[in-house]
Parts: sequence; structure tokens; C-alpha cells
Amino acid sequence: MASISLLNPKAEFARAAQALSINISAAKGLQDVMRTNLGPKGTVKMLVSGGGDIKITKDGNVLLHEMQIQHPTASMIARASTAQDDSTGDGTTSTVMLIGELLKQADLYLCEGLHPRIMTEGFEKARDKALEVLEAVKVPVEINKKTLTEVANTSLKTKVHPALANLLTSVCVDAVMTISNEKQLPVDLHMVELMEMQHKTDTDTQLVRGLVMDHGARHPDMPKRLEKAYILTANVSLEYEKAEVNSGFFYKTAVEREAFVRAEREFIDQRVKKVIELKRQVCDGTDKTFVLINQKGIDPMSLDALAKEGILALRRAKRRNMERLALACGGTAMNSFDDLQEEHLGYAGVVYEHVLGENKYTFVEDCKNPMSVTILIKGPNKHTITQIKDAIRDGLRAINNTIADKALVPGAGAFEIRAYNELTKYKDTIKGKARLGVQAFADALLVVPKTLAINSGYDAQETIVKLTEEDRLNPELVGLDLSTGEPMKPVDMGVYDNYIVKKQILNSCSIIASNLLLVDEVMRAGMTSLKG
Amino acid sequence: MAHTREILTFQFGTYANYVGAHFWNQQEANFVYDGQGEVDEQGLPNNDILYREGQNDQNQSTYTPRLLSVDLAGTLAHLPLAGELYGDFIQRKRDELDASGDGVESTKKALEANQLSTSGKVEVREEPPTPMSEYQRDLLMGAVNTLDRDYKLAETCRTWADFLYARYHPRTLNVLHQYTSNPDLQALGTHTAGAELWSSSFEEDFCDRIRLYVEECDGLQGFQLLFDIDDGFSGLATKCLEHLNDEYSRASFVVPLHYPRNLSYAQADTRTSHNIRVVNAVLSYNHLSDYATMFTPLSTLESIWRNNTLKSRHMPGLHWQADNLYQTSAVLGSYLDTISLSYRMRQTPETLLRFCDRVGVAGRKLTAAAFALPLDMLDKQDLIECLDQRGGKPLLTQITPQCEPGTAHVVQSVVARGIPVSRLKRPPEQAGEQLRMAAYNCGSISQMLQLYYQCAYHNSLSNVISTVLPIKTQLPFPYELFDKNVNIDGYKLPGEAQRDAGTRVASAPALGALQSSSRLGEHIDALHAQTHRVQLAKLQSYSQAGLEREEYETALEHLLEFRDNYSDSQYL
Ligand SMILES: Nc1ncnc2c1ncn2[C@@H]1O[C@H](COP(=O)(O)OP(=O)(O)O)[C@@H](O)[C@H]1O
Ligand SMILES: [Mg+2]
Repeated sequence: MASISLLNPKAEFARAAQALSINISAAKGLQDVMRTNLGPKGTVKMLVSGGGDIKITKDGNVLLHEMQIQHPTASMIARASTAQDDSTGDGTTSTVMLIGELLKQADLYLCEGLHPRIMTEGFEKARDKALEVLEAVKVPVEINKKTLTEVANTSLKTKVHPALANLLTSVCVDAVMTISNEKQLPVDLHMVELMEMQHKTDTDTQLVRGLVMDHGARHPDMPKRLEKAYILTANVSLEYEKAEVNSGFFYKTAVEREAFVRAEREFIDQRVKKVIELKRQVCDGTDKTFVLINQKGIDPMSLDALAKEGILALRRAKRRNMERLALACGGTAMNSFDDLQEEHLGYAGVVYEHVLGENKYTFVEDCKNPMSVTILIKGPNKHTITQIKDAIRDGLRAINNTIADKALVPGAGAFEIRAYNELTKYKDTIKGKARLGVQAFADALLVVPKTLAINSGYDAQETIVKLTEEDRLNPELVGLDLSTGEPMKPVDMGVYDNYIVKKQILNSCSIIASNLLLVDEVMRAGMTSLKG
Repeated sequence: MAHTREILTFQFGTYANYVGAHFWNQQEANFVYDGQGEVDEQGLPNNDILYREGQNDQNQSTYTPRLLSVDLAGTLAHLPLAGELYGDFIQRKRDELDASGDGVESTKKALEANQLSTSGKVEVREEPPTPMSEYQRDLLMGAVNTLDRDYKLAETCRTWADFLYARYHPRTLNVLHQYTSNPDLQALGTHTAGAELWSSSFEEDFCDRIRLYVEECDGLQGFQLLFDIDDGFSGLATKCLEHLNDEYSRASFVVPLHYPRNLSYAQADTRTSHNIRVVNAVLSYNHLSDYATMFTPLSTLESIWRNNTLKSRHMPGLHWQADNLYQTSAVLGSYLDTISLSYRMRQTPETLLRFCDRVGVAGRKLTAAAFALPLDMLDKQDLIECLDQRGGKPLLTQITPQCEPGTAHVVQSVVARGIPVSRLKRPPEQAGEQLRMAAYNCGSISQMLQLYYQCAYHNSLSNVISTVLPIKTQLPFPYELFDKNVNIDGYKLPGEAQRDAGTRVASAPALGALQSSSRLGEHIDALHAQTHRVQLAKLQSYSQAGLEREEYETALEHLLEFRDNYSDSQYL
């Protein structure tokens, strides 16, 4: 920093002005790239890398990161978009658009000599006002299937084709409703496992009320399908390898070593015996069966012993699946077999294996009261699956946000139009040049309805005139009907956005845009952001 | 019930991937298919230890390394992230030679048909195809000419993907999208930044890939872990090692690799860059002395820290450009292929853990590498004469920097390869002079070398094994490394003789050793001496990455404690 403050003031000013124009053009550039993404009529992009990798996305955030931005301004905007995604799971394209537009609008005034400080003051006032408007127009909702379906469907239709969106909507809603168990609280989305399955001819997404794991039994004689199965989940090593590491260098002779190995083997065999004993105790003489799912390893000898008992055993289960299994099937994940009881066991109606090429899958289904479920995504290739997976994540986040907010905001540009009208009125109450900042902010908000219109092939100006007029005449919010180009009531059409998403956009965009306007601060931010 | 004792390999960083590429190329050059030749099966390696069998989406069998590789964006060149065996990529049309149709167009159509687009339409954004190296193109066409075509790989190679013969599994390759490779600047510079990256976004997916590999294993014995120690990959790698210990507690043979160049770092002049390298090493050693079962730093350079002239090691019979990544990594890759035979042979029951424990005794986890490629042996000479005539001249060249284990009180594992039994000694009726040598009683290559070391090294412990497989030095190996007086089989021609112009060395015998002695403490001393000049506060990239002074000082203290393991009183 020292070097910059040593410059003479004139040069510094020139430098700042130059940096500002760089910022503005960078933001505009990003906006241009993102523009065609916004809304249900936005276009999906297929990115093909120099090596032939394929990525499909419509998500502003993903696109930004694929573009491998080096420019510090652009990467600052990219970070805002990532933050938006991390905290709410939506609104990333809008974020980039709005920051770009705020700078563009501000530029008009700055060219005429307005000081950036005054502009940002206006931004601050406008943001506070816009947040008030948001509070006023949000629609409190009851958490039920209809509400959740509407919000998930709005979100998913901005990601994939409507027909697929409808399917994914019901999968997402069912998933959350199943594990939320009537409680009106957000669920732990980690308890919805997304499992992918690459299948040459099949594209389908389904909800499994249980668990699907990406591995199977490693013994040829183990059963491929079991019904009425007790499930033992464990984190207990059933291989004697570990002992060898710990024992290090200590035995002096081969005989001693042999004895040691035998003792260790005996030790593991005891553990296997415990499992077998319990299995016999609960299954013998009934039609019940037994499955062991272990986070640790199981060596071939142990597998052999378990297979002889008709037990299906899986090794190296995902850590997180231990928790999910307990929630899906009941029972407790065991860290030792010393005191193994029937009550520790979970239960599933059916457990079966599915083989696809070199991959095996194990389905644990028909669980009594599953608190953890799996969404199984089948697709012909990785990029298709990834795109569907991303869409599902967004749908789930939209649902969860709604449960947390207990409110929604009418979409289709409705909030932005209302806020624009309110800010225009509010502007006149502001003294001094800061009102120009409020006006710029209001104008910038219109980028959302404008872009929605353009992406559907309508004239932007005409649309804005129609919408703002209609909004003034109506107490209820009006948005843009993308199929007619006419005003409509989003509430009637079930087009809703998440409250938290809108709130976050207003907050982060005004901060980032202000930072970018006050370049001198940006330079500093830019410097510290050059990690490496 | 004998089951495979699998080993999983990791390659963190660009140079690690160069070395790895040569390592896997070497493996595959030495695959011996059933019924091929009269080699004694028992003398061969068990490839299943490092390789897995699989099946791709076309139901073809695959045989690929159990490998996880991480590198910067831009290093894969023409390679798709998922590799080339399992589909899931578009074969880019690079020139008229590509007969394939327009993959982009058909992929786009399929997506539209699968309802993946909101509007029904997909917009394509294509990067221009990354050019394929000539060697790769010929490989694709089945037209590689190893005898007289010159691909000039040493000059033209931009990345390890350009000369990779081996094919990887879709699980193998990982790219740090945020960090683009730049030949002049370390994109991910500091240990701390790498460690930070591990926890922030990398860990989850990567650990799942590890788990999938381990789940396949019946008797996982451990890990080979190669990493670039001069940049942030050191942080990523040591974090990974920590995870491996927590989750799997198996043996780990760790190989920190030094670039044969002085790279620069963001916001750093030459001096600061040196200091960053020093701190990277201190922090890495701090972790390795805790988590690795054994670690062996490798470099073709003589010394690492503040080596402004980049003085390189020299191996008799071989010459390389000191800063050439492709050539130098071939030497290190061949060494690893050689020394790892210790735990990969079919008949030896030696495990990775035994291998590490044997040399890394008494907490001396830092061990040193030495190599001879080619093994300095005259054409038509027998091993017995070769050894007899050496006098005090060492057989091996050190390839661990700043380190000379000496010839007394050494513990070592030695692997000899490519010396046929017929070259051990003459049969009695022709033996003449040889009969008078004590070594004449030795019945095998390994026995004779064992005896040699008993005599040549004072008060030392050597464990020698041998295999008939030589180092294969045809393309994509840099065959040009060999001096003119080395013949096609890798033996030195007598006097002024040279091999025929136009012929290339096809294979060579080699000798590799992994050593430990109290003199390895000097390596740590050399590092520690450098730390006196480091002013942590002046290393911007480190302070920005969030390294605390306390953490660094603890690491330094730890380093000195570790050094104590090498004080004389402790062992031998
Ligand atoms: N059916 C619809 N009709 C009109 N506008 C819609 C509809 N569905 C969503 N939108 C609007 O599209 C915008 C979100 O588009 P999207 O592509 O998801 O971008 P972002 O990444 O910003 O969430 C919101 O302003 C939302 O109100
Ligand atoms: Mg959205």
C-alpha cells in the first residue's frame, strides 16, 4: 500500500479513475455472459473443454467458475455469487446481473462528475428502503405440499425442461416431507443422499425411501437379495492388517511373529463370531435375514465366515452413511462388538444388489419410518447426471429455505417492479445528490424483469412500461407472464422466489457494487485476494 | 488363502505427475503377458498390487493403476478428466486425421432430447481443442515408431500428458480448477495454502475416491505418495496423509519431489522465493516425521536450498539437461520403479511396511535414494568382474539432495535388475581368474551383491533382491539420455567404441538403493541452516495464507527433535 500512497495526488486520482472504469467494464462483461441464463427461458450452456470434457449448466455461479476468471474485479463478483450460492443455494445469476447493472447505472452519474462516495451513500439508503419493501410484500405461507411444490417447481423450471422439472419437483418435495416428519422445521439436507448411477439407456430420477450405497458384497457366495433384514451398522475392523502396523518391529523371531499373527487372527475371528452369534440368535427359526454394513474393512477370511452364515456384508461404507443408516433403518452404529444386542439392530424390508459394469450398488429399502432417504439419479453419462444433480440440490434448498422463512416472495420480476416504484417515490424525500444514487439503484433493479422479457423475446422497454403502470394500479404484485409478455399475478400462477434469496441479493449486491465504486478500497481488497 | 496385497498410489503436483507418468509407463513396458518368453514367473512383479482390473461401459476389460493424481488446471492438455477408457468425453476433432464425426453436435442433440434444457435448446461454448502431442497422436493411431522416429519430447513436451503411455481410470485424475498452471510462477505456492485448500473444498470428493479404491482391496498394505514439496501441493499431500492414517492406518512410503528448477512465487523476489521453499520443506518435514512410515526426498539436483547454479547430479553413462522436467523425471521414475520392486515381487513376502521398517529404523523415517542407470557394466563383462574391478569407485549416485550416506554404518535395501544370470560369472571350465575370487561361490545376482556390500561397506546391513527385468528405455522414455558408448542393451562399450549411429538403447540394467545412516542428519542440518535467514513476516504469501508464527516455530523445534534420531549414539 505504501507505494500507492506515495504517488502524487493527481496521478493517484488518474489511477483511481482508470481502475473504476476497468471495474465497470469487467462487471458489464460478466453481465453480458450471464444475461442469457436468467429465468425459465434462459438457455442452458454446454461447455466443451479443450480436452473434450463436457459440462452443462445454467447456473451463473458454475459458469463463472468454469470461466476461470483471473481479473480481480471479476473474481470479486464471482466470490459474491459463490457466497450467495453457499448461503441460499439460489439467485447467483441475479447477483451478477444486479452488480453489473448497479455499476452501469452509477457510471452514468459518475461521468457527469458525481463523487463515488455520494453514489454509495444513495445505494445504502436505497437498499434499506428496498428491504422494507421486501418485508412488506413477502407472503407468509403455510408449510404444506402445495406451497413446497410451487416453490420447488419455480426453481426447477429455471434449470431443466418443464417436463423433467415436474418429475424432479415431486421427488424433492417427497424427499423433504418424508424426513421432516410433520415437523415444520428445515431438515438436514445431508440426510438426503444423492446417488448417481450411470446407465447407458436409462434416464430416470426416483426417490428411494432408504439408502443406496455405491458398493456391494465382496464375496461370491453372499446373497444378492434379502428380505426382512436386520441391519447391523458398525465401525469395527474385521481385518487383521491393522495389528501388523501397530506391532511394528517388536517380534524377534519368525516363530514369535507367527504366534503374534495367529493371536491377531484369533482376535478378529472373535469379532466375526460375535456377529454370527447375534445373527443366529435373532434369525434362526424365523424368516428374518441379516446384513452387516461396516465402515471399516472386512478381510476375505471374515467375509468367508459371514458368507457361510448367509450374512450379507459390506465393507468401507461412507462415514456419513453410518448416520444415514441409523436414521433410515433405526438401530445404532456400533463402535465395538463387546456388548452386541438385538436392540442395536436396524431393519429394512428388502436389501438387494444391483450390478452395472464394474460398479455395484446396494439398495436398503422398505424402511419403517425413514428419517433419511436417497434420491437416485440415472443418466447415460456423467454430465447429464451432474446437471440433474445440481438442479435437485437447488430444488431441495428452495424447499428448505421456504420452511425456514415461512414466507415467499412473488417472482417473475414482481418484487423488483414494486421496489422500483417505491424507490422512485422515496427518492423525492431524499435531500441532496444522494437521491441520484437511489434512482440508480431503482433503475438497476429493473434488470431482472428486463432480462426475463428479453430472454422470452419481448421488448424490454415496453414490458417495463406495462409492468410499472400495472403495479401502480394494483395493491397486489404483478410480474411478467413469459408466455404472453403481459402482466400477471405471480401469486395466482404459483411463481414464487425465496425470501432469504432476495434479501441476500439486495444486501450483497449493494455492498459489492459500492466496494467496486470506491476503487481505492477495491485495490486493497484486490491485493489481499491474490492468495497463492 | 493368498490374496493380493494392494497398494494405492498418490501423485500430488505437476512434477509428481511427470515422475508418475514415467513410473507407470515403465510398469507397462515391463508387463509380461502369459506365455510370453521363458522368464521364470517367480522372478516377475505381481502387477495386481498396483493395478486393478475393471470393465468399461463397452464391457471391455481394463487394467489401470490404483492411482489418484492431483494437478493444476491446464496440465491435462488433450486428456479428458475422466481418462480415455470409459467414455464420458467428446473426442475433439484436432485435424484431418480424426475420422470421428462431430461429437459436439451429437452430444448437444442427446441433451436436448433428454429434457436437460429449459427451453429445449442448448447453447454450445467450445474451447478450441488442445493440441495433441505428436507422440500421443501416433499412439492413438497405433503408429508409434520407437526405432527411428524422433518426437523431440525433451524439447516439445509441455506436460506429462504429452508422453503418458499408461491409461488411467476415471477416478484417477483431479484438477484444481481455481489454479491454472503457469510455467513461470507457482500457482499454488505455499504449504499453508495447500493445506487450507484440502479442508475447504477438496477433501470430501477426494476422500470418497480413496474409499472407493480401498473398498476394492482385499488386503490393502499401504500407500505410495509422491508430491511436489516446493509448492502448495505439499500441504495438500500432508493433509491427505493425515487422513490416510486416521482412516486406514497403513504403511506409507512418501516421496517428496523437488523441481529441478528454481520457480518463482507470487509477490516474491528470488530471495523470498528461496525462503518460501525452505518454509515449505520445514512444514512438510514436520508432518512427515509424524505421519509417514518412511519418506525419501528425490531430486536430480545436488542441493535444493539456494542452489542458484542448479548444479545437477551426474550418473555415469547418462546425461540430461539439468532443468528438463521430462528427462529428469524419467530418471526419478525409473528409480521408483526399481526400488518399489522390493515390495512388488511375486515370490518375496516382503510387505510395504517391512520395506519401510527395514531401512527407516529407530525413528529414522527420512531415508536416502541412490541409483545407477545404467549399471556401470562393460559389454561382455560378468558381474563378478565388474564388482571386482571397481575398487573404491561407488556403484551408485545419490538422488536425494544434500545427502551422502557414506559407506559405513549404512542400512540399505538394494534392487538389482536386468542382469541375466548368465552374466553372473563364467561356468567353471571357462572361469579362469574368477575361480579365485570369493564371490565365485555366489549362486545368484543378489547373493553376489550382498557379498560385495559386506566387503565394500563397513559395518552395514544390506538386503539385496534382483529381477531379470531391465529398465525399458524405448519411447516414451528419453532414450537420448544415454551416452554414445552405451550399447543397445545398456552395457558400456570398451575403449572408444560407440554404438551404431541411429540405434537407440532399448533397455538397461540398473541398480537402486534406499539407504539410511547417521549422516542423513546432514540433510536436515542443511535445511535447518537455511531457516536462519527466513523472516516469516516478510513472506507475504505465507502471512496471507494464514500461517501463524507459533506453528512455524513448533515445526522448527520438531525438526530438531527429529534430527536427534540421527545422532550417532542412536543406531549402528
Ligand atoms: N415461471 C416464471 N415466470 C417468470 N419468471 C420466473 C418464473 N420462474 C422463475 N422466474 C424468475 O426467474 C428468476 C430466477 O432465474 P434463475 O435462472 O433461477 O436465476 P438465479 O440464478 O438468479 O436464481 C427470478 O427472478 C424468478 O422470479
Ligand atoms: Mg434460481
